[in-house]
Amino acid sequence: MKKYLALLLALCMVFALCACGQSEAPAEEAPAEEAPAAEDAGTDAAATEGWAPDGPVTMIVSYAAGNGTDVTARILAQYAEKYVGQTIVIENVDGGSGSIGWSQLAAAEPDGMTIGFMNLPNFNSSIVNELGTYTTDDFTAICNHVTETSLVIVRADDERFPDIDSLVAYAKENKTVASTNGAQASNHIGAQAFANSADFVYTDLPMGNTADELTSLLGGEADWCVAKAADIAGRTDVRVLASFSTERLPDMPDVPTLGEKGYYDQWLGSSRCVVAPAGVSDEVVAFYEAAFKATMEDPDYLAAASEVATDYKDAATTAALIEEQQAFTEGLSEGFWYE
Amino acid sequence: MLETLQLMGQGFISALSILNLLAMIGGVALGIVIGCLPGLSAAMGVALMLPLTFTMPADTGLIVLGAIYCGAIFGGSISAILIHTPGTPASAATAIEGYQMTLNGQAGKALATACWSSFWGGLLSCISLYFFAPMLAQLALKFMSAEKFWLGIFGLTIIAGVSSKSIVKGLMSGALGLIISTIGLDPIDGTKRFMFGQAFLAEGINTTCALIGLFSMSQVFILAEKEIKKRAKAAKFSDRIALTKEERKKIRPTVIRSWIIGNIIGILPGAGASIACFMGYNSAKQFSKHKEEFGHGAIEGVAGSESANNAVTGGSLIPMLTLGIPGESVTAVLMGGLIIQGLAPGPELFTKHAAMTYTFFAGFVLVQFFMLAIGMLGCRGFAQISRLSDAILIPCVTVLCVIGSYAIHRNMSDVIIMLIFGALGYLMRKFDLNTAAVVLALILGPISEKGLRGALRVSDGDIACLFQSPVSWVLIILSIVGIFSPFLMEKFEKKVTGGEVLDEE
Repeated sequence: MKKYLALLLALCMVFALCACGQSEAPAEEAPAEEAPAAEDAGTDAAATEGWAPDGPVTMIVSYAAGNGTDVTARILAQYAEKYVGQTIVIENVDGGSGSIGWSQLAAAEPDGMTIGFMNLPNFNSSIVNELGTYTTDDFTAICNHVTETSLVIVRADDERFPDIDSLVAYAKENKTVASTNGAQASNHIGAQAFANSADFVYTDLPMGNTADELTSLLGGEADWCVAKAADIAGRTDVRVLASFSTERLPDMPDVPTLGEKGYYDQWLGSSRCVVAPAGVSDEVVAFYEAAFKATMEDPDYLAAASEVATDYKDAATTAALIEEQQAFTEGLSEGFWYE
Repeated sequence: MLETLQLMGQGFISALSILNLLAMIGGVALGIVIGCLPGLSAAMGVALMLPLTFTMPADTGLIVLGAIYCGAIFGGSISAILIHTPGTPASAATAIEGYQMTLNGQAGKALATACWSSFWGGLLSCISLYFFAPMLAQLALKFMSAEKFWLGIFGLTIIAGVSSKSIVKGLMSGALGLIISTIGLDPIDGTKRFMFGQAFLAEGINTTCALIGLFSMSQVFILAEKEIKKRAKAAKFSDRIALTKEERKKIRPTVIRSWIIGNIIGILPGAGASIACFMGYNSAKQFSKHKEEFGHGAIEGVAGSESANNAVTGGSLIPMLTLGIPGESVTAVLMGGLIIQGLAPGPELFTKHAAMTYTFFAGFVLVQFFMLAIGMLGCRGFAQISRLSDAILIPCVTVLCVIGSYAIHRNMSDVIIMLIFGALGYLMRKFDLNTAAVVLALILGPISEKGLRGALRVSDGDIACLFQSPVSWVLIILSIVGIFSPFLMEKFEKKVTGGEVLDEE
């Protein structure tokens, strides 16, 4: 009898071990059917460049499975396998506000077999806050995947603020509270940049995440806040007053930019880029750049990613974006925040 | 309303997928095994199995955990009835009448009673889950910083109070949890606190690692220090595992009474299944028409205890899902499972993630039916498992603890944290401190801190902001009741158990 019991518990353990390895398993099974197609695509997409991965590619995502970055990364990876010609295994290395994953990516072998996602400006903040020992020099940009523009929003039924000018006028005379997704996090940076440019003082209320930030606004604790377009998609209980972009957003033609109203006139938001550890060869970068460009133009991908703000940028533009965001984030320390 | 009904219906359709059905059967069977092994509690079982669900879809993962929870609470009765050792503390009261029935040669009938009443207790508790959870979630939208602060305080006082034998030790355990919860980036200014240059501590101590260590690893140490003894032989029994129509009718009023008791206890944070089983047993005794049977194997006694502890399950999910306040250790673990899936407790579970939530609810309902079927058919087999030697159990649990904590981030630092908390949990239990209070404080501390500092920030430091809304006042009053609850509980426990000491683990 005892033997059976031991066997039963041993089975439980095997089951546990299997489940631990499972995150990789589905990805390994899937490409088997697509492999022939991939080879054809590979030849015209990138194999001519002279380099192609000879085994499964690891893609490090610095956030937990199911997180926004993870979801979009998985969609990209799924459709990119056709052009990369190999399995892409997403590895979620979360913790430390993303810095654990980026440290691991920076330390990875620069052989093109390990790439990863970099989230701007969270990545830049992690450098400024000394959470990791890496710098922007430890990474090589491949391309940009997603761009989300920041917006100034208020409650839809808040009659005090029909437009952005009324909010500024009110805020100059009265104390206003803006909820944010965390101290010095992306939406706090946005709120501060807007307030500085419009020359008013407000109180920030860090909530730690965007869901709570919006709850705080809708519950009336906060008067206004800054959020990204994807966070309020489909919501009718908030009103968008202005966007942090250089021209009006295509899907919000009635919403003015802050710049045209005479306030903050730069683009502000968040980006998710694909990067490799520094030291990869130019062929590797060119290979992935072409493969991901083809993926992001693939009709199947576009259908699957209809809710993702896909925005392809080439390697050089992306590298410039990372540096620009780094300079911007570092510049925030002097005179940007209130004391 | 119509929309909600539609969501409920769709929930059942998605819960009936092959994967989810397999999850229910596997979860219930695993839960019963864990439950009937003396030494493994429901919280520990769910904590050990939590890492299995990381890669599952959110609804399936939660269904597995819910199934283990229900199965374990029922499973405890098997060893309580057959070897007079409750498999989990939640079945402590079942052992009183259940073992007497075994001695009378009615073990099969006792098991059938336990199974039947667990099924009804669990099934009826789903009613309150369906009705109260969305209502409370609506209320949660009105919770701003000040209310969240008081919510955390309420949770802390009642947990430190109710779940401990001594209020001082309960508060000490809670305070220890609060201190540990300050590790990491501070929620308001982003200042690094007690991180010692370790980036993996930026988001604080991982609650899941902490609870695997505190609940499971510490139990391994406790088991390992004792001499490994052979367990009492499970009583052989020949009568059928079945109830007659008359018997089912006889226990019906008891089941309904225990359902109401168990459900209310479940919704209230702090008190869990181990208290509910005694209350259910006691009320069965008081209202019984056959008081003379009690003490000599009364099926009403078994029914009263077992339907009460299973009625806790549905109720205890309500504050966890809606307010993020886990009322007891099992729901704290379940909340860990929810967060790992990228889902935060609160109103969004009933709007944005309503499909997932109602699938989980439907799964929870269906789990009760599987529990009935597996329990009725498999009791004899499970009875053998309850005698499993600690010599096999200890290494297996250790391996699962290490794999489980490693799997969270695939990082050895989490394993080290788990081991530290295992040692901490061992010491705490030696000193009679409360490990559940540490975990709950770890969860509630940041909620309170954020609430307090946020409220003061909005009001420019005016403390009056904490006392403005009616919700705040309700929570303040409840907190005061929470502080004094140990005195009330002590009186109550003496009454129901006749001075017998209740083990809360």
